[in-house]
Amino acid sequence: MTVTAGSGAFQERDVFVRKATGLVRGWSVRDAFVYATFAINLVTLGWFIFASAPFIPNGGLLWAVVVSGAFLIFQAIVYASLISVMPRAGGDYVWMSRVLGGGIGFVLAVAGWWFILWYWVPIYANILNIEVLGPLSAIVGWHSGVTFWAGNAGIFVASVITAVLASLFIALGIRTYGKIQKFCFYGGLFGLAVMAIILLVTSHTGFINDFNSQAHKLYGTTGNAYGATVKAGTAKAGYVPTSVGHFNFSGVLLLIPMLMFFNLWSNWGATLYGEVRGASDFRKNIYAMGGALIATTIVAGIFFLLFAKTFGWNFYMGGNNAFYLGTGPTGVFPYPATLAAMIFGSPVLQFILITVMSLWFFGWVGSVFLSSTRVVFAASFDRILPERVASVSKSGVPYWALALMLLPSIPLAALYAWSHSFRSYTLDATLVIAITFLGTTVAAAILPWRKPEIYNASPIAKYKILGIPLITAAALMFATILIWALIKWFSDGAYGVNNTDSFYLMGGMYVLAIGIYVISQIVRKRQGIDLKMVYGEIPAE
Amino acid sequence: MRIFFATDVHGSETCWRKFLNSGKHYKADVVILGGDMTGKALVPIISEGGDTWHSTLLENRETLVGEEQVTEFEQAVKRRGYYPFRTDPDELAELSRDESRWHALFDEHMLRTVREWMELADERLAGTGIRCFVCPGNDDQLEVDDVILEAKNVELGEGRVVELGNYQLLSSGWANRTPWDTYREEDEPQLAERINKMVELITTPPELTIFSLHCPPYGTGLDDAPELTADMDLKDAGHAVHPVGSTAVREAIERFGPALSLHGHIHEARGTKRLGKTLCINPGSSYEQGQLLGAVIDIEDGKQVKKFVLTSG
Repeated sequence: MTVTAGSGAFQERDVFVRKATGLVRGWSVRDAFVYATFAINLVTLGWFIFASAPFIPNGGLLWAVVVSGAFLIFQAIVYASLISVMPRAGGDYVWMSRVLGGGIGFVLAVAGWWFILWYWVPIYANILNIEVLGPLSAIVGWHSGVTFWAGNAGIFVASVITAVLASLFIALGIRTYGKIQKFCFYGGLFGLAVMAIILLVTSHTGFINDFNSQAHKLYGTTGNAYGATVKAGTAKAGYVPTSVGHFNFSGVLLLIPMLMFFNLWSNWGATLYGEVRGASDFRKNIYAMGGALIATTIVAGIFFLLFAKTFGWNFYMGGNNAFYLGTGPTGVFPYPATLAAMIFGSPVLQFILITVMSLWFFGWVGSVFLSSTRVVFAASFDRILPERVASVSKSGVPYWALALMLLPSIPLAALYAWSHSFRSYTLDATLVIAITFLGTTVAAAILPWRKPEIYNASPIAKYKILGIPLITAAALMFATILIWALIKWFSDGAYGVNNTDSFYLMGGMYVLAIGIYVISQIVRKRQGIDLKMVYGEIPAE
Repeated sequence: MRIFFATDVHGSETCWRKFLNSGKHYKADVVILGGDMTGKALVPIISEGGDTWHSTLLENRETLVGEEQVTEFEQAVKRRGYYPFRTDPDELAELSRDESRWHALFDEHMLRTVREWMELADERLAGTGIRCFVCPGNDDQLEVDDVILEAKNVELGEGRVVELGNYQLLSSGWANRTPWDTYREEDEPQLAERINKMVELITTPPELTIFSLHCPPYGTGLDDAPELTADMDLKDAGHAVHPVGSTAVREAIERFGPALSLHGHIHEARGTKRLGKTLCINPGSSYEQGQLLGAVIDIEDGKQVKKFVLTSG
């Protein structure tokens, strides 16, 4: 602020800062944006889950993505607020344990940030197969490879690859992984741009010809594979896709819980920031997370329009439906990048496009274990888990925490690979994390009253809406969408998790978490360690 | 014997008051503050004439009317770890132009606050039987030591080896080089020499020795700090961390093998690590939020330290 004083105008100083450790200029919103954009990964998560949209026939995919994206801005506000109030807290575990209590914090955090991520390994692997290994096998002419990656053994092998890759990236260290992610992000963006241009300049008729020719070459189809795909996914299946711009309010609401598989994660990398110095850092966090959400939503929308223009919307939706019904002529997942690659006649160009697009997978794969190792560490530092699990090797590899992620994930991957009913609980993966986020959201909503000193000392204390603290108002809005999704998951069979086996799966995780917590309390008490000290606040007066 | 250890309160009055109460709260026999006790910034509260003032805290500009609001704001500034001072636009303009003047003003406020803290400590700790050690860190000016030495119930740690029951406690707030050129930092060889000289004063065996060295040992995870760009921005939005601890500190711990080694300096790197039989702890710091992060450690006659918890008071 410039004011006039004494002999002339000067820049009024708000603060005089002496030399001291940790005083940095700031951080780049762009960098945080990259991490958040990777977490809500349009290519891996988005294009994978969009294929399930025909399960909600009247859904209106485009508008559901837009509405859910807009609503999840409240999530960005909630998490940016929590970071602002407790910046070094280490995420959901510490926020919940400090506000709601150690037991609740531990159980919800380890179920949502640790145990359920075992289950994400085969999901990642499945995406690796249908978006990378399968298409590349087809392009190089390894037809038995296409069959292999689509089969049970293929999913298991890909799960092992996924788990080993994720472990390797973590072992390399977050600094190196960050560099890998950045390279993959910009490479992946280039791939998306190329794909967009191809779709833009290719006519619908041109695509039909290219698809028919390449489907024959790559997957051995005969005749009009395009028409057969549409027919198999629509008329023969009794499914009538709506138009790309179709808006139906109830249909949009029904699709939102499904889409959360893709866009609920803008907060994924938001738990590690340095000294938060003021309101601008709070805003930067919102810009990074909310910006990633908005940008990804816009890009998703643009690609929907391009799909409709070039592929034809009936083909895109019908192809997805036919894939899940097992009636599609090609027999493979209609991955949009593969469809776009078919426009190239050259296998070399097809190979390059799929490889470049695979950067969206390889830059993202480490996230399956990365946050979990932090939760394991935090719980160990709180003495709930043994001290040993926070051990790192001389080169900085958190080998115990990694083992706790890696080892259970392999047998679960085998179950996923060879048991189709187990595989159908994919959306549990979102559900359990959503419950964790709901716990954090409740903690955020009551934070101004539960921890008034900490809250009032934060730069966000002045933000209010109709007299209600912004963090509370945003938490109530975010909680609304989470509760809606939870109600639908628990009550509607369309999401695949409303069944007894699924409840056992989820319940088992919470029982395991409660068991660990109770045992730790007993063991520590016997050792003479009072865990109540971990969370108890010292009076200041 | 039970020890409570906290560090890096950086001028936060709330954290200092909590620290003084920590002995009673955790039933500790000894409380140790590991360094960096002084604040980082002066916050001007500027008169607009009459009883109206304005100031900016955490980038939020506040207009304050009346003594009550100004006093309340001053308390908020102190809780955050900064030093408030009242001024007018003319004086502020002069201060802004003359670095030596505002540095002198900073020293005045900082030393006055440390003096007030020592008086409060004398009052709060009198008759409790709790021993209190404070060892300034690399961010604390050397003059701070003299103020601590004047206190009756607070013992200065810097450069000393003191008896704690059967144990001996070695303390230093010096660190290896930082990008900020702070008050107590030096090259690794000099730091090694400083620590080695102190180690020579120890007469207890390693299992009855405690190190309190502000700077954490290199490459232990207790020293993982966000990497900075050449422009002093956080690289990769704070996600890229790298070890910045001291090799001299690590070498001293590995060579001597004390039962316990207490550290701070890197606020984000809260955690524990075993180097041989030595339990190394960095409880981290959340001073800006008024949270006193700490560690409660029970030590017993030379046994390996196993009973400890990290706290967030």
